[in-house]
Amino acid sequence: MRQILRQREVTPDRWRYPGEEGHGPLVHTLAELLAAAPPSLNPRDLPELGVRIGPTDELPPLQAYLPYLALIVVQFEKNGDGRGFSQAQLLRQRYGYGGELRASGAVKRDHLFLLARCGFDGFDFDATEDPSAALACLQRFSVAYQPASGLLVQPRQRV
Amino acid sequence: MYQYDDIDRTFVNERVAEFRDQTRRFLAGELSEDEFRPLRLRNGLYIQTHAPMLRVAIPYGLLSTRQLRMLAHIARRYDRDYGHFSTRQNIQYNWPKLEDVPDILADLAGVEMHAMQTSGNCIRNVTSDHLAGVSADELEDPRPWCELIRQWSTLHPEFYYLPRKFKIAVTGAANDRAASAVHDIGLHLVHGPADSNDAGTMGFEVLVGGGLGRMPIIGKRIRAWLPQTELLAYLEAILRVYNRYGRRDNIHKARIKVLVKALGIDEFARQVEAEYSANRAFAPNVKPADMARLRASFMPPAYLVLPDSEPDTKSSAFLAWHRHNTRAHKVSGYRVVFVSLKKHGEAPGDMSGAQMDALADLADRHSFGEVRVTHDQNLVLADVPQHALAELHTALGALGLATPNIGTLTDMICCPGLDFCSLANAGSIDIAKQIHQQFDDFDYLYDLGEIQVKMSGCMNACGHHHVGHIGILGVDKHGEEWYQITLGGSATGEVTLGEVIGPSVPKRSVAATLARIVEVYVEHRENAEESFLQTVRRVGIAPFKERVYATNTAAA
Repeated sequence: MRQILRQREVTPDRWRYPGEEGHGPLVHTLAELLAAAPPSLNPRDLPELGVRIGPTDELPPLQAYLPYLALIVVQFEKNGDGRGFSQAQLLRQRYGYGGELRASGAVKRDHLFLLARCGFDGFDFDATEDPSAALACLQRFSVAYQPASGLLVQPRQRV
Repeated sequence: MYQYDDIDRTFVNERVAEFRDQTRRFLAGELSEDEFRPLRLRNGLYIQTHAPMLRVAIPYGLLSTRQLRMLAHIARRYDRDYGHFSTRQNIQYNWPKLEDVPDILADLAGVEMHAMQTSGNCIRNVTSDHLAGVSADELEDPRPWCELIRQWSTLHPEFYYLPRKFKIAVTGAANDRAASAVHDIGLHLVHGPADSNDAGTMGFEVLVGGGLGRMPIIGKRIRAWLPQTELLAYLEAILRVYNRYGRRDNIHKARIKVLVKALGIDEFARQVEAEYSANRAFAPNVKPADMARLRASFMPPAYLVLPDSEPDTKSSAFLAWHRHNTRAHKVSGYRVVFVSLKKHGEAPGDMSGAQMDALADLADRHSFGEVRVTHDQNLVLADVPQHALAELHTALGALGLATPNIGTLTDMICCPGLDFCSLANAGSIDIAKQIHQQFDDFDYLYDLGEIQVKMSGCMNACGHHHVGHIGILGVDKHGEEWYQITLGGSATGEVTLGEVIGPSVPKRSVAATLARIVEVYVEHRENAEESFLQTVRRVGIAPFKERVYATNTAAA
């Protein structure tokens, strides 16, 4: 079973990604999600809803679904692709998304601190990375120069 | 100058620890070369032709003598006792050992320096005017803003993995001495428009999308006037649009200039302004307390009240140096002194550890303990009392640092070229030597007046050849080094890109070709006051082309 770093703990993932069999709530592709009408029920009456977005996906179409989403998986297809960092900041700040925001794909421990600063709180690492060893990287920097949207790490800033 | 506080110190120390761990993991085989590359690049470390190359940041070109002595120490201890000052106002070491780099970075941290973001696809070391704070044409000192940008851009959580490198230059004077129009963002401190409520209030004119390389473009104005308090918010808007929509499929099309060109400046500006408006609540503010602290860091030194005086010597060597290697200072009794790193026989921009140490002593004695790096690869002592000039000239002469050629044809910009750089197609250092040999008569150089020669060993254009009055570009033709010549480029005033005069010339003919080009200038100039650049602009490249190719059969 897939191990993820969620908040500050390594835990088995209870979600199923698009196309995966088995138990647990399903993460939809963005196309699947948008094909369904925007939910109108009380969020508590819905099954848990998750979606996966890619680096070129626009965020405004997602806006109506955000109150109902418990998980957004932001896919990093290549080491060095920085688009997901902007998507995360926008989801946390402009769109006020409060559920789990997970970085998935080409994600390694050396990205962890900045991902967390941008508001990610879930990490599905590259297969070659050890999530337990990566955890320590959240403490890499105790200070920072910029405001950001992260809650998991809050480095000291000049006030 | 700016002094680190507890936040800055903690940060660079944590950064050194991070890179030490990353280097250890690489050497232990836990990180592949592909994984390590972006990490080492963001700490200034390239793998070059012979060895690693470490590029150390000199933010906006300003060094204390304590820092210069540390650069000398690093040259001696970890390298072959020299360093190379680059067009980015940085210093490069060509022979460090990979396993020593964490120690070098720790030594740098000890004097409030680093090598962060001097390479890689991130916001690079911010550059500025080497005459900041001392030039009479200045509206406002750009250095506090440079330091603000340095801090904001350092390990920016959102903009650390951009499509491509990103360079910002800031100037605060009427004359642009930082080549800001060929940067990804150029910022000019300017007064608000005369017919507006902002008249007289300082703000920024913002250019975007300039750059050299394979696709040279002059930056376009995206904002005529931006309030100073909005600087970081506006930079974030530009960077966010670029980070999300800049091309990532082709390294040669990934700079912001390609995005600006594809969208058109109007549509790009519309997207930036929309992002800027939408993000107001979250963007970083320019805090008055921060700016007060930063401005206090760049207060003028304790100038003495001194009269202006003319040199009272008949020494022609001193007078030539005084005329060519010093400039007016805004405070009476002082001069700005250029330290020429363009001596015949030396690679342009290179300096030995002993020279650095000795220059640090001279700067302590005569220039308030500070040294600056210019983007054309010389150093500057910015605040020298006029009564100390003769003594300083003698001392610099003994060090080989007083070649009186600043602003002349032999004050060339020159990249490391094929001798060191793995990207280069052709050598540049040999060509610099050849040009020095051809133009060894200083009276002739002085008669020619200001001519900026800029040379790159490949089309990546580290040597800024597109904006040289005479540009020289090394090209590879079937394994041989050939050189393409451009004329009429300029990075200041009316910014222009040079025009190619024709087919490239073989290596042995480069200096001879330049000799023909300047002959044509001498014949065509209207009078002694018309500069080379003015003549090229007036008569066009045709007469130059005709002369170069009429008799130069070897260039066919």
